[in-house]
Amino acid sequence: MSALERAEVKRLREGSPWTGLWAVVAKEMADHLTSARMRILELLILLTAGGTVYVAMQQIRASIGSDRFIYLKLFTLSQDPLPSLIGFLGFLVPLIAIALGFDAVNGEFNRKTLSRILAQPIYRDALLLGKFLAGLFTLALVFSAIWLLIFGMGLIGLGVAPNTEEVGRLLWFLLATIFYGGIWLVLAQMFSVVFRQPATAALAAIATWLFFTVFWNILASLLAQSLRPIQYGFLEEALAQAELELALTRISPNTLYAEIAIALLNPTVRSLGFVLPFQLEGAILGTPLPLHQSVLLIWPHLTGLIAATILLFALAYILFQRQEIRA
Amino acid sequence: MKRLGSILFLAFVSVLITTLALVIPANAQDITPESNSPNLTLYTTYPSLVVGPGETVSVDVHVRVASQAEVVRLQISEVPEGWTATLRGGGKTVQAVYVQADSEANLELRLDQPKTIQAGTYRVVVTARTPNASAQLPIEITIKEKQPSRLSFDVDLPVLRGSPSTTFRYSVTLKNEGDDEITVNLSANAPRGFQVNFRYGGQDVTSLPLGAKESKSITVEAQPLVDITAGSYPITIIAQGNDTQASLDLTAEVTGQPSLSITTPDGRLSGQVYTGRETSLKLIVQNTGSAPAKGVKLSASAPSGWTATFDPEVVDEIATNAQSEVTLKIKPADNAIAGDYMLTLRATPTQGASKSVDFRITVLTSTLWGITGVVLIAIAVGVVMLAVIRFGRR
Repeated sequence: MSALERAEVKRLREGSPWTGLWAVVAKEMADHLTSARMRILELLILLTAGGTVYVAMQQIRASIGSDRFIYLKLFTLSQDPLPSLIGFLGFLVPLIAIALGFDAVNGEFNRKTLSRILAQPIYRDALLLGKFLAGLFTLALVFSAIWLLIFGMGLIGLGVAPNTEEVGRLLWFLLATIFYGGIWLVLAQMFSVVFRQPATAALAAIATWLFFTVFWNILASLLAQSLRPIQYGFLEEALAQAELELALTRISPNTLYAEIAIALLNPTVRSLGFVLPFQLEGAILGTPLPLHQSVLLIWPHLTGLIAATILLFALAYILFQRQEIRA
Repeated sequence: MKRLGSILFLAFVSVLITTLALVIPANAQDITPESNSPNLTLYTTYPSLVVGPGETVSVDVHVRVASQAEVVRLQISEVPEGWTATLRGGGKTVQAVYVQADSEANLELRLDQPKTIQAGTYRVVVTARTPNASAQLPIEITIKEKQPSRLSFDVDLPVLRGSPSTTFRYSVTLKNEGDDEITVNLSANAPRGFQVNFRYGGQDVTSLPLGAKESKSITVEAQPLVDITAGSYPITIIAQGNDTQASLDLTAEVTGQPSLSITTPDGRLSGQVYTGRETSLKLIVQNTGSAPAKGVKLSASAPSGWTATFDPEVVDEIATNAQSEVTLKIKPADNAIAGDYMLTLRATPTQGASKSVDFRITVLTSTLWGITGVVLIAIAVGVVMLAVIRFGRR
């Protein structure tokens, strides 16, 4: 690239790329919050949350006073046939996130509104980031509302105020839930950039989600068995294989989210990896970890989720910037 | 004639002797019933009785008539001063009795003693009369003298030895040697710092009834209260009742003993340590015993892979009611999992019982690794920024 060309590039790229970002965010959020699609999803999650928390509350009442963290139990207790709230969140969060993102770009394109927006003093940067942030904020809004609803139900149903430890843990869990939604949101948006048909993009996103939910664990197990075979039956071999399998399953955001939920909502969990018997010598089992230690335990998971979200956004951004959109 | 006279004299003498022989025992409290006719007999089966003072005596009197039915008049002809004697028949006081021929009537002679009476032998005579016969029945009553009340203690092991935490138990036998039942009050003179209880039959007692000639086993429990120094402590126990008392001296020999305890300056038995990092904890070893603790060795049982050392490892001497400060350095294993662990610390003096305390250690993992997560996010943001610089503003 010659000096002249570089100067031209520099001249062309003037001002902030984020001009008009907040306008896009506000408009997109307004669209999300008023859309029928969102209403259906909100109703769905409301029913789920109400049902599971009610069931959990019935169980807590039967054994009240035996636990320090009853608000955490609201999220984790389940009763056949209903799974616990975190079980529901594990697949409802990706569903909402995909629903918010699968037609972000190709929808505009099909409605022929993309060039009209870009005719405004708004860069593509701001458009994509604005759509992503609007989706993330919507998720944050919905989940915060659900969290507050659960606290309210707990206050009425249990009559005990949550302690600071519980509030702290649930706030960290809320953050993790939002970013777990964020990764699926940005994935769906990336597919909406790649595929011109919204249905294809939605299918691709759901296929990815299904792959990680159903097949990845099986695949990780098979990969671990083939890469680290147990040849002589030593303990070290079995351990190495199991550790590889665990590392592979952690590529799946579902695993990361499940482990975050376990560590945050069950304070007695001390380790998410393999624990050798001698490491438990002298340990007082069943004692809760302090909050910051639980957060340290899931810190790699949480930062991994956030970093993956940002990297996926970068990928979507590059794909979008390189795309021909005037057609 | 002379020979006849001597025979008559001999006969007279023999009659006299016979008469005297009959009369003299009668004067000396003879209790043989007398009758001047074989037709009337007055008798009792047990004419001589021994009773205690104040007891009412009842004697069965039988009147027998041989040939023909008669009315027999009865009279108490001799009774000691102050005594009341009544003859009773058929539940009533009687003065005469009708007796069938060749049969007998039964009466009861009741004798009431005066309120105060000397020990000795007393005589009561009952007389029976018919128009042509009379009979006498003397009865002898001996009032036995009572044993005065007397209490005595007996103990096998009057001197016991033990630590300040021992309860000294003495097995004491309390005996009433008198003839009266006594209610005995028990008390003890013990030095300060001792609590003395009397136990009988598993119960704490302060007084107990003791029958005549009865003995009971009592356990005397002397419990030293805390803060008692070594030494010999005399304990006197006293039993009192009915103007009599007995006392017994017991001795409790308290031996000295160090008693250690481990704590921290603020009393918390917990601490926080980071994995792979050495942390110092200040400990206080106290001696609350009655003897100085010598050569107190400190040790800790920690999970494997941990190091726990004391500075100093041996405290030479901790005087009574003194304390010593010790530093404990803990380093958990590098791969220790966060959470609570139990650490048992032990202080062992050369003489005396060792003392252990459970210390709760919270292992925290270092937040240093948390920074790598932040770096990861920073790299991701950097990638976005690079992408913006390369492709931005289209």
